[in-house]
Amino acid sequence: MTFLAKASEIRVGERKLIKVHGVDVAVFRVGDQFYALNNACPHRQGPLIRGTMVESENGKGCSIRCPMHGWKFDLATGDSHGRPGNATVYALTQCGDELHIDI
Amino acid sequence: MSIRMDQIQPIIDREYDYLMSEHPHWSLTKGDQDLELVAHALRVLLHHKTTPQHLSEYLALVDCQHADGGWGKMSSDTGSAAWVTAFSALMLIRGNLLLKHPGIAQSVRKCVRYFLETQKEDGRWADPSWADLDAVSHPISFFDVLMAVGSHLIDGPTMQAVKASWRQGMRFMLERQAEDGGWYDPEFHPTGVEITAHLIQDSIVADLVVGNELNVTTCCRKGVRKLLSVQAADGSWDSENVDHTMDCTRSIMLVSSILGIRAECDRAIERGLEWILKHKCEHGWPDFPGMDTNLERTCDGLDTLLKYRAYSQPVTTAIVKLWGYAA
Repeated sequence: MTFLAKASEIRVGERKLIKVHGVDVAVFRVGDQFYALNNACPHRQGPLIRGTMVESENGKGCSIRCPMHGWKFDLATGDSHGRPGNATVYALTQCGDELHIDI
Repeated sequence: MSIRMDQIQPIIDREYDYLMSEHPHWSLTKGDQDLELVAHALRVLLHHKTTPQHLSEYLALVDCQHADGGWGKMSSDTGSAAWVTAFSALMLIRGNLLLKHPGIAQSVRKCVRYFLETQKEDGRWADPSWADLDAVSHPISFFDVLMAVGSHLIDGPTMQAVKASWRQGMRFMLERQAEDGGWYDPEFHPTGVEITAHLIQDSIVADLVVGNELNVTTCCRKGVRKLLSVQAADGSWDSENVDHTMDCTRSIMLVSSILGIRAECDRAIERGLEWILKHKCEHGWPDFPGMDTNLERTCDGLDTLLKYRAYSQPVTTAIVKLWGYAA
Protein backbone atom coordinates (compact mmCIF):
# COMPACT_ATOMS: atom_id res chain seq x y z
CA MET A 1 0.00 0.00 0.00
CA THR A 2 1.19 3.50 -0.84
CA PHE A 3 0.56 6.66 1.14
CA LEU A 4 -2.00 8.82 -0.66
CA ALA A 5 -2.95 11.77 1.55
CA LYS A 6 -4.04 12.81 5.00
CA ALA A 7 -7.79 12.35 5.39
CA SER A 8 -8.08 15.68 7.15
CA GLU A 9 -6.78 17.44 4.02
CA ILE A 10 -9.90 16.46 2.07
CA ARG A 11 -13.10 17.80 3.55
CA VAL A 12 -16.53 16.26 3.15
CA GLY A 13 -17.80 16.79 -0.40
CA GLU A 14 -14.38 17.76 -1.72
CA ARG A 15 -12.00 16.10 -4.14
CA LYS A 16 -8.28 16.20 -4.76
CA LEU A 17 -5.95 15.19 -7.60
CA ILE A 18 -2.82 13.44 -6.31
CA LYS A 19 0.06 12.04 -8.34
CA VAL A 20 1.19 8.60 -7.09
CA HIS A 21 4.10 6.85 -8.81
CA GLY A 22 3.48 9.07 -11.84
CA VAL A 23 -0.23 8.22 -11.99
CA ASP A 24 -2.93 10.89 -11.55
CA VAL A 25 -5.30 9.63 -8.87
CA ALA A 26 -8.63 11.40 -8.36
CA VAL A 27 -9.68 11.20 -4.70
CA PHE A 28 -13.30 11.93 -3.73
CA ARG A 29 -14.78 12.23 -0.26
CA VAL A 30 -18.49 11.54 0.14
CA GLY A 31 -19.48 11.75 3.79
CA ASP A 32 -16.89 9.76 5.68
CA GLN A 33 -16.11 7.57 2.70
CA PHE A 34 -13.06 8.09 0.47
CA TYR A 35 -12.75 6.83 -3.11
CA ALA A 36 -9.66 6.72 -5.32
CA LEU A 37 -9.90 6.37 -9.11
CA ASN A 38 -7.49 6.74 -11.98
CA ASN A 39 -8.15 10.26 -13.21
CA ALA A 40 -8.26 9.29 -16.90
CA CYS A 41 -11.67 8.32 -18.26
CA PRO A 42 -11.33 5.07 -20.26
CA HIS A 43 -13.25 6.66 -23.15
CA ARG A 44 -11.12 9.66 -24.22
CA GLN A 45 -8.98 10.15 -21.09
CA GLY A 46 -11.10 13.03 -19.82
CA PRO A 47 -10.20 14.21 -16.29
CA LEU A 48 -12.63 12.60 -13.84
CA ILE A 49 -11.51 15.04 -11.15
CA ARG A 50 -13.43 17.71 -13.13
CA GLY A 51 -16.52 15.52 -13.36
CA THR A 52 -19.99 16.02 -11.95
CA MET A 53 -21.02 13.99 -8.90
CA VAL A 54 -24.27 12.11 -9.42
CA GLU A 55 -26.17 10.42 -6.61
CA SER A 56 -27.63 7.00 -7.33
CA GLU A 57 -31.38 6.92 -7.85
CA ASN A 58 -31.80 4.55 -4.92
CA GLY A 59 -29.82 6.92 -2.69
CA LYS A 60 -27.07 4.38 -2.22
CA GLY A 61 -23.69 5.32 -3.59
CA CYS A 62 -22.46 7.95 -5.98
CA SER A 63 -21.10 8.15 -9.50
CA ILE A 64 -18.83 10.61 -11.24
CA ARG A 65 -19.74 11.82 -14.73
CA CYS A 66 -16.78 12.59 -17.03
CA PRO A 67 -16.87 16.21 -18.24
CA MET A 68 -15.78 15.32 -21.77
CA HIS A 69 -18.43 12.95 -23.16
CA GLY A 70 -20.57 12.07 -20.19
CA TRP A 71 -19.55 8.54 -19.26
CA LYS A 72 -20.58 7.86 -15.66
CA PHE A 73 -18.69 5.66 -13.18
CA ASP A 74 -19.66 4.20 -9.83
CA LEU A 75 -17.15 5.63 -7.36
CA ALA A 76 -16.85 2.39 -5.42
CA THR A 77 -16.54 -0.07 -8.29
CA GLY A 78 -15.67 1.97 -11.41
CA ASP A 79 -18.64 0.39 -13.21
CA SER A 80 -19.59 2.46 -16.24
CA HIS A 81 -23.29 1.59 -16.41
CA GLY A 82 -23.09 -0.18 -19.78
CA ARG A 83 -20.32 1.74 -21.54
CA PRO A 84 -17.50 -0.27 -23.15
CA GLY A 85 -14.93 0.34 -20.39
CA ASN A 86 -14.82 0.83 -16.63
CA ALA A 87 -12.81 3.32 -14.57
CA THR A 88 -9.84 2.00 -12.64
CA VAL A 89 -10.58 2.03 -8.91
CA TYR A 90 -7.78 1.64 -6.35
CA ALA A 91 -8.35 -0.19 -3.08
CA LEU A 92 -8.10 2.40 -0.32
CA THR A 93 -7.53 1.96 3.39
CA GLN A 94 -7.57 4.52 6.17
CA CYS A 95 -5.23 4.23 9.18
CA GLY A 96 -6.00 7.08 11.54
CA ASP A 97 -5.59 10.23 9.50
CA GLU A 98 -3.64 8.52 6.73
CA LEU A 99 -5.08 7.23 3.46
CA HIS A 100 -3.23 4.49 1.58
CA ILE A 101 -3.98 2.93 -1.79
CA ASP A 102 -2.96 -0.21 -3.61
CA ILE A 103 -1.41 1.01 -6.85
CA MET B 1 -13.13 40.84 -37.05
CA SER B 2 -10.61 41.86 -34.41
CA ILE B 3 -8.47 38.70 -34.57
CA ARG B 4 -6.16 39.09 -37.54
CA MET B 5 -4.83 36.28 -39.69
CA ASP B 6 -1.28 37.54 -39.26
CA GLN B 7 -1.72 36.63 -35.59
CA ILE B 8 -3.24 33.23 -36.32
CA GLN B 9 -1.10 31.96 -39.19
CA PRO B 10 2.18 31.67 -37.20
CA ILE B 11 0.31 29.63 -34.58
CA ILE B 12 -1.10 27.34 -37.27
CA ASP B 13 2.40 26.85 -38.71
CA ARG B 14 3.96 26.13 -35.33
CA GLU B 15 1.23 23.76 -34.19
CA TYR B 16 1.23 21.89 -37.48
CA ASP B 17 4.98 21.34 -37.10
CA TYR B 18 4.33 20.09 -33.57
CA LEU B 19 1.67 17.63 -34.81
CA MET B 20 4.09 16.34 -37.41
CA SER B 21 6.76 15.90 -34.72
CA GLU B 22 4.25 13.67 -32.90
CA HIS B 23 3.69 11.55 -36.01
CA PRO B 24 4.61 8.20 -34.35
CA HIS B 25 1.84 8.77 -31.80
CA TRP B 26 -1.01 9.15 -34.30
CA SER B 27 0.05 7.54 -37.56
CA LEU B 28 -1.27 4.12 -38.55
CA THR B 29 1.89 3.67 -40.61
CA LYS B 30 3.72 3.34 -37.27
CA GLY B 31 1.48 0.67 -35.71
CA ASP B 32 -1.75 0.19 -33.78
CA GLN B 33 -3.50 3.50 -33.04
CA ASP B 34 -6.62 4.98 -31.51
CA LEU B 35 -8.73 5.64 -34.60
CA GLU B 36 -10.53 8.67 -33.19
CA LEU B 37 -7.14 10.32 -32.83
CA VAL B 38 -6.14 9.19 -36.32
CA ALA B 39 -9.30 10.72 -37.80
CA HIS B 40 -8.68 13.98 -35.95
CA ALA B 41 -5.16 14.11 -37.41
CA LEU B 42 -6.34 13.29 -40.94
CA ARG B 43 -8.82 16.15 -40.70
CA VAL B 44 -5.94 18.52 -39.97
CA LEU B 45 -4.10 17.23 -43.05
CA LEU B 46 -7.23 17.90 -45.12
CA HIS B 47 -7.70 21.43 -43.88
CA HIS B 48 -3.99 22.22 -43.99
CA LYS B 49 -4.12 21.03 -47.62
CA THR B 50 -1.36 18.49 -47.16
CA THR B 51 -3.44 15.37 -47.84
CA PRO B 52 -1.75 14.65 -51.21
CA GLN B 53 1.59 14.21 -49.41
CA HIS B 54 0.07 11.64 -47.04
CA LEU B 55 -1.58 8.97 -49.19
CA SER B 56 -0.03 6.24 -47.02
CA GLU B 57 -1.97 7.49 -43.96
CA TYR B 58 -5.30 7.10 -45.77
CA LEU B 59 -4.38 3.71 -47.22
CA ALA B 60 -3.39 2.50 -43.77
CA LEU B 61 -6.88 3.41 -42.58
CA VAL B 62 -8.35 1.40 -45.46
CA ASP B 63 -6.16 -1.55 -44.47
CA CYS B 64 -7.69 -1.84 -41.00
CA GLN B 65 -11.34 -1.60 -42.16
CA HIS B 66 -13.37 -4.64 -41.14
CA ALA B 67 -15.24 -6.90 -43.56
CA ASP B 68 -18.56 -5.33 -42.47
CA GLY B 69 -17.27 -1.91 -43.58
CA GLY B 70 -16.68 -0.50 -40.12
CA TRP B 71 -13.82 0.25 -37.73
CA GLY B 72 -13.38 -0.11 -33.97
CA LYS B 73 -11.94 2.23 -31.38
CA MET B 74 -8.43 0.85 -31.87
CA SER B 75 -7.12 -0.13 -35.28
CA SER B 76 -6.50 -3.64 -33.93
CA ASP B 77 -10.07 -4.04 -32.59
CA THR B 78 -12.19 -6.64 -34.36
CA GLY B 79 -15.66 -5.21 -33.64
CA SER B 80 -17.07 -2.16 -35.43
CA ALA B 81 -18.65 0.93 -33.87
CA ALA B 82 -20.81 3.55 -35.57
CA TRP B 83 -19.23 6.81 -34.40
CA VAL B 84 -15.61 6.06 -35.23
CA THR B 85 -16.68 4.39 -38.48
CA ALA B 86 -18.44 7.58 -39.53
CA PHE B 87 -15.45 9.76 -38.66
CA SER B 88 -13.13 7.42 -40.60
CA ALA B 89 -15.53 7.31 -43.55
CA LEU B 90 -15.72 11.09 -43.63
CA MET B 91 -11.95 11.39 -43.79
CA LEU B 92 -11.72 8.85 -46.58
CA ILE B 93 -14.45 10.28 -48.79
CA ARG B 94 -13.12 13.78 -48.35
CA GLY B 95 -9.48 12.78 -48.70
CA ASN B 96 -10.24 10.90 -51.88
CA LEU B 97 -11.52 14.05 -53.55
CA LEU B 98 -7.82 14.86 -53.74
CA LEU B 99 -6.22 11.42 -53.75
CA LYS B 100 -8.57 9.73 -56.27
CA HIS B 101 -7.45 6.26 -55.23
CA PRO B 102 -9.65 3.29 -56.29
CA GLY B 103 -8.93 1.42 -53.05
CA ILE B 104 -10.23 4.33 -51.01
CA ALA B 105 -13.32 4.63 -53.22
CA GLN B 106 -14.02 0.93 -52.63
CA SER B 107 -13.59 1.42 -48.89
CA VAL B 108 -16.10 4.29 -48.94
CA ARG B 109 -18.63 2.03 -50.67
CA LYS B 110 -18.16 -0.51 -47.88
CA CYS B 111 -18.85 2.26 -45.36
CA VAL B 112 -22.13 3.07 -47.12
CA ARG B 113 -23.15 -0.57 -46.84
CA TYR B 114 -22.19 -0.63 -43.15
CA PHE B 115 -24.45 2.31 -42.31
CA LEU B 116 -27.36 1.08 -44.40
CA GLU B 117 -27.18 -2.32 -42.70
CA THR B 118 -26.80 -1.10 -39.11
CA GLN B 119 -29.45 1.64 -38.85
CA LYS B 120 -32.28 0.83 -36.44
CA GLU B 121 -35.94 1.03 -37.42
CA ASP B 122 -36.46 4.36 -35.66
CA GLY B 123 -33.61 5.98 -37.59
CA ARG B 124 -30.87 5.78 -34.98
CA TRP B 125 -27.52 4.10 -34.96
CA ALA B 126 -26.43 2.70 -31.63
CA ASP B 127 -22.94 3.12 -30.20
CA PRO B 128 -22.46 2.49 -26.48
CA SER B 129 -19.62 5.03 -26.36
CA TRP B 130 -21.79 7.93 -27.48
CA ALA B 131 -25.21 9.44 -26.88
CA ASP B 132 -27.73 8.25 -29.49
CA LEU B 133 -28.00 11.74 -30.95
CA ASP B 134 -24.24 11.86 -31.51
CA ALA B 135 -24.24 8.31 -32.87
CA VAL B 136 -26.88 9.39 -35.43
CA SER B 137 -25.35 12.74 -36.32
CA HIS B 138 -22.02 11.37 -37.51
CA PRO B 139 -23.36 8.83 -40.04
CA ILE B 140 -25.79 11.47 -41.31
CA SER B 141 -22.83 13.79 -41.77
CA PHE B 142 -21.19 11.09 -43.88
CA PHE B 143 -24.35 10.77 -45.96
CA ASP B 144 -24.47 14.58 -46.32
CA VAL B 145 -20.97 14.54 -47.78
CA LEU B 146 -21.76 11.52 -49.93
CA MET B 147 -24.77 13.32 -51.41
CA ALA B 148 -22.83 16.58 -51.82
CA VAL B 149 -19.61 15.36 -53.40
CA GLY B 150 -19.67 11.56 -53.69
CA SER B 151 -22.75 10.55 -55.65
CA HIS B 152 -20.52 9.18 -58.42
CA LEU B 153 -19.28 6.52 -56.00
CA ILE B 154 -22.55 4.60 -55.74
CA ASP B 155 -25.28 3.43 -58.10
CA GLY B 156 -28.79 4.87 -58.30
CA PRO B 157 -30.61 2.33 -56.12
CA THR B 158 -27.96 2.66 -53.40
CA MET B 159 -28.32 6.43 -53.48
CA GLN B 160 -32.07 6.05 -53.07
CA ALA B 161 -31.45 3.83 -50.04
CA VAL B 162 -29.01 6.41 -48.65
CA LYS B 163 -31.56 9.19 -49.04
CA ALA B 164 -34.24 7.14 -47.27
CA SER B 165 -31.84 6.34 -44.45
CA TRP B 166 -30.75 9.99 -44.27
CA ARG B 167 -34.36 11.17 -43.92
CA GLN B 168 -34.97 8.72 -41.08
CA GLY B 169 -31.84 9.82 -39.26
CA MET B 170 -32.61 13.50 -39.75
CA ARG B 171 -36.12 13.01 -38.42
CA PHE B 172 -34.74 11.22 -35.38
CA MET B 173 -32.67 14.32 -34.56
CA LEU B 174 -35.14 17.01 -35.56
CA GLU B 175 -37.92 15.50 -33.45
CA ARG B 176 -35.70 15.67 -30.37
CA GLN B 177 -34.80 19.36 -30.37
CA ALA B 178 -35.94 21.01 -27.16
CA GLU B 179 -38.04 24.16 -27.08
CA ASP B 180 -35.00 26.24 -26.10
CA GLY B 181 -33.16 25.15 -29.26
CA GLY B 182 -30.80 22.65 -27.64
CA TRP B 183 -30.49 18.88 -27.74
CA TYR B 184 -29.99 16.98 -24.50
CA ASP B 185 -29.17 13.50 -23.31
CA PRO B 186 -29.76 12.92 -19.60
CA GLU B 187 -27.21 10.10 -19.51
CA PHE B 188 -24.35 11.66 -21.46
CA HIS B 189 -24.78 15.40 -21.76
CA PRO B 190 -27.27 17.04 -19.40
CA THR B 191 -26.05 20.53 -20.36
CA GLY B 192 -26.67 19.75 -24.03
CA VAL B 193 -23.89 22.06 -25.19
CA GLU B 194 -21.70 19.57 -27.04
CA ILE B 195 -24.57 17.64 -28.62
CA THR B 196 -26.17 20.85 -29.86
CA ALA B 197 -22.87 22.07 -31.32
CA HIS B 198 -22.29 18.70 -32.98
CA LEU B 199 -25.74 18.27 -34.46
CA ILE B 200 -26.21 21.64 -36.10
CA GLN B 201 -22.77 21.69 -37.73
CA ASP B 202 -22.10 18.03 -38.47
CA SER B 203 -25.40 17.03 -39.95
CA ILE B 204 -28.49 19.21 -39.81
CA VAL B 205 -27.32 22.45 -41.42
CA ALA B 206 -26.03 20.53 -44.44
CA ASP B 207 -29.61 20.12 -45.60
CA LEU B 208 -29.54 23.79 -46.61
CA VAL B 209 -26.57 23.06 -48.86
CA VAL B 210 -27.44 19.66 -50.31
CA GLY B 211 -31.11 20.12 -51.21
CA ASN B 212 -33.08 22.06 -48.62
CA GLU B 213 -35.62 19.28 -48.25
CA LEU B 214 -36.42 19.53 -44.56
CA ASN B 215 -36.53 23.28 -43.96
CA VAL B 216 -34.01 23.33 -41.12
CA THR B 217 -33.34 27.07 -41.05
CA THR B 218 -35.40 27.76 -37.93
CA CYS B 219 -34.06 24.70 -36.17
CA CYS B 220 -30.44 25.72 -36.85
CA ARG B 221 -31.02 29.33 -35.86
CA LYS B 222 -32.53 28.19 -32.57
CA GLY B 223 -29.54 25.89 -32.05
CA VAL B 224 -27.05 28.68 -32.62
CA ARG B 225 -28.94 31.02 -30.33
CA LYS B 226 -28.98 28.34 -27.65
CA LEU B 227 -25.19 28.12 -27.85
CA LEU B 228 -24.81 31.90 -27.79
CA SER B 229 -27.01 32.06 -24.70
CA VAL B 230 -24.83 29.69 -22.66
CA GLN B 231 -21.40 31.09 -23.54
CA ALA B 232 -19.62 32.13 -20.35
CA ALA B 233 -18.47 35.69 -19.77
CA ASP B 234 -14.85 34.60 -20.35
CA GLY B 235 -15.73 33.24 -23.82
CA SER B 236 -15.69 29.52 -22.97
CA TRP B 237 -18.45 26.90 -22.88
CA ASP B 238 -19.25 24.12 -20.40
CA SER B 239 -17.12 25.20 -17.44
CA GLU B 240 -13.91 25.92 -19.35
CA ASN B 241 -14.08 22.73 -21.37
CA VAL B 242 -11.56 23.26 -24.20
CA ASP B 243 -13.11 20.56 -26.42
CA HIS B 244 -16.62 21.90 -26.07
CA THR B 245 -15.46 25.52 -26.55
CA MET B 246 -13.72 24.51 -29.78
CA ASP B 247 -16.86 22.62 -30.88
CA CYS B 248 -19.13 25.58 -30.22
CA THR B 249 -16.81 28.08 -31.88
CA ARG B 250 -16.52 25.96 -35.02
CA SER B 251 -20.21 25.17 -35.09
CA ILE B 252 -21.26 28.81 -34.88
CA MET B 253 -18.76 29.76 -37.60
CA LEU B 254 -20.32 27.32 -40.08
CA VAL B 255 -23.97 27.65 -39.21
CA SER B 256 -23.95 31.45 -38.98
CA SER B 257 -22.24 31.58 -42.38
CA ILE B 258 -24.84 29.36 -44.03
CA LEU B 259 -27.77 31.13 -42.33
CA GLY B 260 -26.38 34.58 -43.10
CA ILE B 261 -26.36 35.67 -39.45
CA ARG B 262 -22.65 36.33 -39.00
CA ALA B 263 -23.19 39.80 -37.61
CA GLU B 264 -25.11 38.30 -34.72
CA CYS B 265 -22.36 35.77 -34.01
CA ASP B 266 -19.02 37.41 -34.83
CA ARG B 267 -18.31 38.62 -31.33
CA ALA B 268 -19.11 35.27 -29.71
CA ILE B 269 -16.79 33.53 -32.17
CA GLU B 270 -14.00 35.98 -31.41
CA ARG B 271 -14.47 35.59 -27.68
CA GLY B 272 -14.38 31.82 -28.03
CA LEU B 273 -11.25 31.99 -30.13
CA GLU B 274 -9.55 34.45 -27.79
CA TRP B 275 -10.23 32.08 -24.88
CA ILE B 276 -8.88 29.11 -26.88
CA LEU B 277 -5.68 30.99 -27.74
CA LYS B 278 -5.26 32.15 -24.16
CA HIS B 279 -5.35 28.60 -22.81
CA LYS B 280 -2.90 27.01 -25.22
CA CYS B 281 0.01 25.04 -23.85
CA GLU B 282 3.49 25.78 -25.16
CA HIS B 283 2.73 23.11 -27.77
CA GLY B 284 -0.86 22.12 -28.40
CA TRP B 285 -3.96 22.33 -26.23
CA PRO B 286 -5.16 20.61 -23.05
CA ASP B 287 -8.61 19.25 -22.22
CA PHE B 288 -8.97 21.92 -19.53
CA PRO B 289 -6.84 24.97 -18.69
CA GLY B 290 -3.73 24.04 -16.75
CA MET B 291 -3.62 20.40 -17.85
CA ASP B 292 -0.95 18.82 -20.05
CA THR B 293 -1.22 18.89 -23.83
CA ASN B 294 -3.59 16.35 -25.35
CA LEU B 295 -2.87 15.38 -28.95
CA GLU B 296 -6.52 15.01 -29.95
CA ARG B 297 -7.31 18.43 -28.50
CA THR B 298 -4.31 19.82 -30.37
CA CYS B 299 -5.85 18.54 -33.62
CA ASP B 300 -9.13 20.21 -32.63
CA GLY B 301 -7.31 23.46 -31.87
CA LEU B 302 -5.54 23.45 -35.22
CA ASP B 303 -8.81 22.61 -36.95
CA THR B 304 -10.50 25.54 -35.22
CA LEU B 305 -7.81 27.96 -36.39
CA LEU B 306 -7.88 26.57 -39.93
CA LYS B 307 -11.66 26.97 -39.99
CA TYR B 308 -11.34 30.50 -38.67
CA ARG B 309 -8.97 31.20 -41.56
CA ALA B 310 -11.69 30.04 -43.95
CA TYR B 311 -14.36 31.95 -42.01
CA SER B 312 -12.32 35.12 -42.48
CA GLN B 313 -12.59 34.85 -46.24
CA PRO B 314 -15.42 36.79 -47.88
CA VAL B 315 -17.07 33.81 -49.63
CA THR B 316 -19.22 31.42 -47.58
CA THR B 317 -18.16 28.41 -49.65
CA ALA B 318 -14.65 28.62 -48.16
CA ILE B 319 -15.87 27.43 -44.77
CA VAL B 320 -18.58 25.10 -46.13
CA LYS B 321 -15.84 23.14 -47.91
CA LEU B 322 -14.17 22.42 -44.57
CA TRP B 323 -17.14 20.30 -43.57
CA GLY B 324 -17.12 18.56 -46.95
CA TYR B 325 -20.54 19.86 -47.96
CA ALA B 326 -19.04 21.34 -51.14
CA ALA B 327 -16.10 20.25 -53.30
